[in-house]
Amino acid sequence: MTFHPKARRSPGQGLDRRGFLRGTLALSAGAVGLTSLAACGNGDGTPTFDTGAIANAPYPLARPNRPVKQPITSDNQPIADGLPPEKGGTFRMLNYADYINPAFVKAFEEKYGVQVQLTPFNNYDEMLAKLNQHNVYFDIVFPGPSVLGKMVYGKLLQPLNHTYLPHFKNVYPSYYSPWYDVDAQYTIPYTVYTTGIGYRRDRVDQVPENGYDLLWDPQFKGSAYILDDRGEAIGMSLLRNHITTDINTGNPDYVNQATNSLIELINLVNVKVGIQDYVFIPSGQATVHQAWSGDMLGALQYLPNGTSSSVLGYWAPDKDFVVGSDVISIPFSSKKPVLAHLLMDELMSPDGALTNFKWTGYQPPVQSITPEGLIQDGLIPENLTTAVIKSEDFARGLVFYEVSPAIDKLWQNAWSKFQAG
Amino acid sequence: MTQSKGGTGLAEAEPTPEQRPTLARDKKDPTFDRSTRRLWPILAAPGTIWLIVLFVVPFYGIFAVAFGQVDFLFNTPIPAWNPLHWQFTLFGEVLHASVDGPFSGVWRRTFGYVFVSLVVCVAVGYPVAYYVARLAGRRRGLLLALILAPWWINYITRMLGWMTILDEKHGYLNSFLEHLGVIDQGVNWLGGYPGVVVLGLVYGYLPFFIVPLYASLDRIDQRLLEASRDLGVGAARTFWHITLPLSRMGLITALVITALPMAGDYYTNQLLSGSPKTNMIGNTIYYYLAQGPQKNVGACLVIQLSLVLLVFMAYYLLLTQRASKEAGR
Repeated sequence: MTFHPKARRSPGQGLDRRGFLRGTLALSAGAVGLTSLAACGNGDGTPTFDTGAIANAPYPLARPNRPVKQPITSDNQPIADGLPPEKGGTFRMLNYADYINPAFVKAFEEKYGVQVQLTPFNNYDEMLAKLNQHNVYFDIVFPGPSVLGKMVYGKLLQPLNHTYLPHFKNVYPSYYSPWYDVDAQYTIPYTVYTTGIGYRRDRVDQVPENGYDLLWDPQFKGSAYILDDRGEAIGMSLLRNHITTDINTGNPDYVNQATNSLIELINLVNVKVGIQDYVFIPSGQATVHQAWSGDMLGALQYLPNGTSSSVLGYWAPDKDFVVGSDVISIPFSSKKPVLAHLLMDELMSPDGALTNFKWTGYQPPVQSITPEGLIQDGLIPENLTTAVIKSEDFARGLVFYEVSPAIDKLWQNAWSKFQAG
Repeated sequence: MTQSKGGTGLAEAEPTPEQRPTLARDKKDPTFDRSTRRLWPILAAPGTIWLIVLFVVPFYGIFAVAFGQVDFLFNTPIPAWNPLHWQFTLFGEVLHASVDGPFSGVWRRTFGYVFVSLVVCVAVGYPVAYYVARLAGRRRGLLLALILAPWWINYITRMLGWMTILDEKHGYLNSFLEHLGVIDQGVNWLGGYPGVVVLGLVYGYLPFFIVPLYASLDRIDQRLLEASRDLGVGAARTFWHITLPLSRMGLITALVITALPMAGDYYTNQLLSGSPKTNMIGNTIYYYLAQGPQKNVGACLVIQLSLVLLVFMAYYLLLTQRASKEAGR
């Protein structure tokens, strides 16, 4: 059953505050411990789930080995088939800054006669806060798998109508039904990337077998950086030191070991933190920088005049590498859901995906974009093929997923300890 | 003359008791009629409302967040607006972490940086303020304008300017030092040096220091200094026994005004260092408030920083009160 978008938005349809808090408190009370996915009841008829690392979570938490089909409720159905695109006015986008090609946006504006207004966010907390405001609407949002469950549970998203998404077939087959959103009911994939080490090939003679060791090499003192992201930094230390391959671990000993190893870097190489890997490596300010693969491809645009692209290098392990993925969804509050579908579809088309990739450097998981093709087209140099994701990588890589508040606190406090120097 | 030996610059600026109207006198004064008494509260109302709305309410909000809970679904605070619902356990834990735990090092570093920066401010700013107030003559206006000129430019932009100067490869400082032969290759000044962070703090806040001190020095009665010299006291002793005591309140005002924003600063070190070993308590506060499930920890740290600064403010107010009393004798 489907409804016209304007007909199905009535006040009070969202999750009421009491129900919301009940779920929240259940989540906060969750104990750390792995139990099997099983739906059960909490006495008042509300289903709860023992899933992942959270017991009695109010909603199922997706894991790569325990995919979750997000629920579609009767009061939150996809839009009807065959609706015409909404015309005129403002199309409101909630996205990271500089994470979509302005030329692509401009073409979309001209094609559909709307004004796209971007509201940027810096992290998912900020995104959720903006999306959760009363009387504020957004037409499209760019979240990640680690927050999808809570967004669906909090009724911040509306399910997709795939009849508006003919280009969906172009994405990697592993995204047809990803573990965080079985059957892709709420999301389409936007970008995929790995986390590794970006470096200056003109200053690094040889990359060691464990490329993470570049950061622990005293010869790069003063020009070594790690990402200002607790998950990525501590996760890297877990892998580099062979502590565990569970990059979502709730084991305090593991997290402490990893943190202490990061703290070593402060005196060893005078490490700095930042997320400007795409600027610092091409400019030479950084010799070694923990980096996202997309930033390394984007770094090509930041090379100073006269600097060859051959100076850029990127290393990620062949096995047990971190792979990340961002998605696109339509907020529950959207006033232009048809246009939102059309924009999503455009981004999955070969041309749209390539146009966007050329500007952001972040690779859309679209089958037409291959490492060989990108080199042939001269879009990336051969020395950066390591930064290009192959279709099987998403299934092979390690992913960050939603963890319990207890684990989140553990990691936050560990990162604070590192940040305190 | 009402000025006593232990008087202050501020005290000298105060009117005598005879000159100063008091509330009791005002009430008896037939010219201070009812309409006048109503006028002043009305005039003060916008400022009072402004303070309540933009200071008291947000500050109470910080308490409500610190002593409330966090909505773990969206990582947003659930403020406890009713003080009866406040929970102090977390505050105690954060206090313990600040005194003898993971935050203690950041606190010590913050106090260290602020202390050293204030010492440099005194060393640099006092002579400047003294010169402008006492010796600049007709150039005083121009010099004051030059001191205030940095305020015309955004703080971040000024720090970016320093980044250009201190850049390892193309920075002017390294070029200059290399030209003099002091260094062979560029120094990575932006690589996490505490001294560079202190430099940034001093540069950023020095005008805050100089202006109130200048005002204080400017109000010192020239005749006192002349009398001292006439009685055969040398310049150094005149400064030590006359100028410095009379500018004490101005100096303390300048120190307090400068120390307050310095202690909460979190972007100077980010721009001029970026290293964890130069992070200050402001960075920790920002880290906890910006994201994650412990925004109430950030709020607790804000309260603790405010309490520390409140001690200095209370001391300052006490001195001000004493100075007023001495002036009233």
